[in-house]
Amino acid sequence: MKSIFDSKSLRLIAAGLVVVNGFFPAVWILLTSLKTEAELVSKPITYWPHAPTLGNYIQAFTDQPLLKYLGNSLAVALSATVFSLLVSALAAYAIARLNLKRRQLILTCIVASSMFPLVTLLVPIFETMRAFGLLNSYTALVLPYIVLNLPVCTLVLVSFFQSIPKDLENAAMIDGCTRMGALVRVVVPLAAPGVFTAGILAFVNSWDEFLLALSLNSNPNFRTLPVGITLYQGEFTFPWPIISAALIVAIVPIAVLIAIFQERVVGGLTQGGLKG
Amino acid sequence: MATATAIDRLRDPSEKTLGVMLLAPAFLLLALIVVYPIGKLIWNSFFDLRLSGGSGIKFVGLENYALVFKDPDFWNAAKNTVLITLITVPGALVVGMGLAMLANLPFKRKWPVRLALLLPWALPLAFAGLIFAWFFHTEYGVVNDIVRRAVSPAEPAMWLLRPNWAFAAICLTIIWKTSSFMALILLAGLQMIPKSLYEAAEVDGASKWQQFWQITIPMLMPSIIVALIFRTITALQTFDIPYTMTKGGPGNSTETLAMLIHKTTIDYLDVGYGSTLAVCMFVLSLCVTAFYLKRIGKNA
Amino acid sequence: MMRRTYLTALTAAAALVVGLASATTAFAQQTTLRVFSGGANQRPDLMRKLFDQYQAKNPGVKIDIETGGATSELQRQYLSTVLNAKDSAIDIYMIDIVNPAQYFGAGWLEPLDSYIGKPADVLKPYLPVYSTSNVVDGKLAAMPAFADAMFMYYRKDLLDKHGVKEPKTWDELAAAATKIQKAEGNANLQGLSIQGAPIEGAVCTFLLPYWGQGKDFNDASGKMTLDKAAATKGLATWLSMVDQGVIKKNVAEVKTPDTVNEFKAGQVIFAINWGFAWDRFKDDKDSTVQGKVGVMPLPAMTGGKSATCVGGWQWAVSAFSKNKPAAANLVKFMSSPEASKFLAQEGSLLATYQSVYTDADVVKAVPWFKDAANVVIAGKSRPISKDYGQVSDVIRTTTSAVLARTKTPADGVSEIESRLARVMR
Repeated sequence: MKSIFDSKSLRLIAAGLVVVNGFFPAVWILLTSLKTEAELVSKPITYWPHAPTLGNYIQAFTDQPLLKYLGNSLAVALSATVFSLLVSALAAYAIARLNLKRRQLILTCIVASSMFPLVTLLVPIFETMRAFGLLNSYTALVLPYIVLNLPVCTLVLVSFFQSIPKDLENAAMIDGCTRMGALVRVVVPLAAPGVFTAGILAFVNSWDEFLLALSLNSNPNFRTLPVGITLYQGEFTFPWPIISAALIVAIVPIAVLIAIFQERVVGGLTQGGLKG
Repeated sequence: MATATAIDRLRDPSEKTLGVMLLAPAFLLLALIVVYPIGKLIWNSFFDLRLSGGSGIKFVGLENYALVFKDPDFWNAAKNTVLITLITVPGALVVGMGLAMLANLPFKRKWPVRLALLLPWALPLAFAGLIFAWFFHTEYGVVNDIVRRAVSPAEPAMWLLRPNWAFAAICLTIIWKTSSFMALILLAGLQMIPKSLYEAAEVDGASKWQQFWQITIPMLMPSIIVALIFRTITALQTFDIPYTMTKGGPGNSTETLAMLIHKTTIDYLDVGYGSTLAVCMFVLSLCVTAFYLKRIGKNA
Repeated sequence: MMRRTYLTALTAAAALVVGLASATTAFAQQTTLRVFSGGANQRPDLMRKLFDQYQAKNPGVKIDIETGGATSELQRQYLSTVLNAKDSAIDIYMIDIVNPAQYFGAGWLEPLDSYIGKPADVLKPYLPVYSTSNVVDGKLAAMPAFADAMFMYYRKDLLDKHGVKEPKTWDELAAAATKIQKAEGNANLQGLSIQGAPIEGAVCTFLLPYWGQGKDFNDASGKMTLDKAAATKGLATWLSMVDQGVIKKNVAEVKTPDTVNEFKAGQVIFAINWGFAWDRFKDDKDSTVQGKVGVMPLPAMTGGKSATCVGGWQWAVSAFSKNKPAAANLVKFMSSPEASKFLAQEGSLLATYQSVYTDADVVKAVPWFKDAANVVIAGKSRPISKDYGQVSDVIRTTTSAVLARTKTPADGVSEIESRLARVMR
């Protein structure tokens, strides 16, 4: 019985469908960013712009300090990712490897923090940040983002650490490593796909986050991209072309990052390590 | 004998201390950021705290919870939320699994499929909802344009104005957006499966289908569970996509629990009742995922 | 002898210099006022110019503008968090005309009686609607910034071409629209465009035909006085126009920008929209209807009277501000007749004073204000309630559901009544 994974042409068709599925909305946004608002109500609808214009990009950058927002988002997302991974890796190792009595409770506590809708936690978090004088800063967002990413990253890393046989660490420790040394030199490299996966999840979560960014960093100097993009609209206006241009600016860095790191996430780094 | 003694020496006497040290950063942050908010939330749920009333705070004990059980809006929202969860969690898993396996195949140029896989994840959630609302728009949407050209130029369907179709459109959008998340986790898990297992099975004469069910799925189970836990938790908290696509309409046929909580807290300024609803959502999430968490906790 | 006098003089001079220096420092002590003034449609650029004028006249005051949300919805999201946390960072808020009652009731706004005056006296020269919308519990909760109302825009050229007069009732409008649509033979030409999506404007969509029958939604004390038969008839009027093909079938998807864009593209004969649309039709580069647009009061129901929905924005002082007197002073300036005239001339923002509409300079700068004046002065306000968030949500979602035909008008009105009966007593 020939399955889809055998036939080359079927594979290509499937791949084609996947590519269309993933790219279509992004391409639609790109095309919209080159149109004028009047063209959007033409019947029948148009796909390719009648008279492609870069005016929307110019306006996107002049109406608001888009580059500054981009910089803020990058700074916050990168810091949050690095620290999320750090904190999660330590916690995940403790849960996966150490013989702790209340392991399940600890894990449940960490995951439970994500079971409350953020909108109901906003005011107290705002008060906490204000009390520490952290409002309108990168720290104001990075700290909550670490907490927001903690459940996913910890759980992903726990499951990856668990799938690595203990013998490898024990072998390293017999060779003279400390436990921490074994973590860094044996476990993390072997769980690299898991680490990069947790990293990308943390990054995209932090990049996309809206509610906290809106409430804590209202100063334009610290505003992040998702909040900035909502400011192009008005009470009565929703300029899709300009917003599309801003969205492209928001998506491109992530797409580039993904394209660069997808080898690392998916790559066969571990193909050899588990032979023992 | 010699190995046993060596390992004895290696066993840290201070495993507990090490555990505390490793978990400290995480719990410190949790304490700093969410313990006070969650505590305040649970506290508020026992009070009649309506800002618009201006009448101050009144302790009502479990009365809010009793109100929740009698509230038809709560049951409507809960029903919608559970339906969305039941549809989009398996949906995203199946689509995500397919995407992950396709991305794992040895194509000559791998980046188009992998980028296509992750691009939906890159689009901010609120705007994904707005874009798909545009795709399903009666007059300006791509869906109706394709239907008109390919099928028939008859009366265009009003997708978002019919409760069932709107619901379907929302589920579709959610699956589109979240299958990337699933695929990412599953892909990393797929990478950890040694090729040798497949080679051995091939030698034994197993078909690709058999290999899938007997090697891939069991080896992938930990990743599947992790993916399911978070997909389920976020599905129960679905907000952005229905909010931007239909605002809960028509009527409140697509209103989810998270939307009800948002409306109660932000628009109605009924902080007490909103907190009660949030606690109910937490209990629901905990019950649903407890089973999965047990499995992970058990694995040594 | 000389030296002593010299020393005394020197000491005296030094004392004088120090004294003057400290006095000037005291004068130079700056108050910084932070103003939250909405999004792009609230013209922060014009507000900035007014703030600069104020800063020039009051050297000790510096004014910073904050933006925290482009739409009423996003602003409410932001303000709800910040004000719930009793934050003192922002001194003055620009809020929607429907918000004073709710925000004052929540304890977020400072009553302005002690700073500006008693409501009855202060609000007399303004448009009548503010005497109800800005007064909560007998106190002055907010001062008007600029006004807005829903107008009936129409294609003068098409009406002239087919010899149709300005309709005075909804039935006349439906007949006029049908006549023109048939004659033009353009499948994409809409007779009337209204907003049916569950946005704030849908509250107006519900109220317009209801008010047009001479009915009121609530009495002076805030108690609901819903006439169910009239409300059902109002909603049924819209639906009958959909059946006649005057209003398009997917009206429940139409938002404010959609009406404007479609009218600009020449696809609509009659359109209901806010005041900002006039300039868009007249000035936008991609507008195909320049010079072809007329504006008239909203039609009445047969046997009723014309009524429109008033919109616009208000200035309010935060109850948590640390600079209340200075803030109240700025609010007084921003709601003065001079400020209103400036906003009218520079931005075509509808004036909050009756007198400004007949001011010679204003009429020269914005001639359509002459037609607008009667509409705005006769405008009615949406229900004033401390629970306006809930009132608005119920009315707009139910209206949208009725227009989407997932509920009958009768069921929709019953639902509105039962849900709001508790709230508006």
